[in-house]
Amino acid sequence: MSSSLAPECNEVKERYDSCFLKWYSEKYLRGKGTTDECAALFKDYKHCLTRALKERGIDRMLEEAREGSRENDAANLRRKC
Amino acid sequence: MKVFSSDCTFDYSWEEVSTANWRKYCPWNDKSPHVIAVDTLSRHVDPDTGILRTERLITCKQSAPQWLASLMGGTDTSHVFETSYVDPESKKVTMVSTNLTFSNIVSVSETVVYQPISATRTQFVQDAKITALCGGWQKIKNAVEEASVCRFRENAQKGKEGFEAVLAMSRRVFSEEKQKQQAREEMLA
Repeated sequence: MSSSLAPECNEVKERYDSCFLKWYSEKYLRGKGTTDECAALFKDYKHCLTRALKERGIDRMLEEAREGSRENDAANLRRKC
Repeated sequence: MKVFSSDCTFDYSWEEVSTANWRKYCPWNDKSPHVIAVDTLSRHVDPDTGILRTERLITCKQSAPQWLASLMGGTDTSHVFETSYVDPESKKVTMVSTNLTFSNIVSVSETVVYQPISATRTQFVQDAKITALCGGWQKIKNAVEEASVCRFRENAQKGKEGFEAVLAMSRRVFSEEKQKQQAREEMLA
């Protein structure tokens, strides 16, 4: 799996990524993946990553980018009619 | 503005491609060394549509041409923000990316779609819009766009080769795991 931009987050990221990939291939793609079993692992990883993004000033850049990506949601998260 | 488009076919099922796509930039891919990190920022399944929405931050390290490097303030690390949508029902992966770094100089927005052609083949379609924003001479803007398109094309070609390697490894590992599983079951039987 790929590394984190923050080396101190690599271990928790690795654990989360492995969990996600298993869930994605074995459950989600087979229509059995509504609940997120990896949520607890993601929380640990996110905690570590959030601090790293803040330290590097990337959190502010992300906020701006999110503003601009709203229209993508409208186009790609369409409800079934 | 310049537009870069490319498409290709992978001889793997959509399920295999969409799974391997999550580890496109892992050590199995030695063709994209400019991608040094991929972090997941958020992820959830949309309750209304069942679509999996993921936000990722991709970190790259790649030196720019000398004349452009000075415009970029001497840093060679850049970040890309990617939002992806997986619709397992219609079997479609859409990934939309935009650059976070140097966004005052050039805007790069890319859309990639993976869709099945048959049970064993998947189509990849990539579109990118590259717009230089730096004020001033059109000549400079053109040069910035040309350099960006050129680099984009190189990375896209290498990215495909690297992804082929990841797909082959994924299939191998998956079949090995399946064999191990079968062996375990036979032992227990």
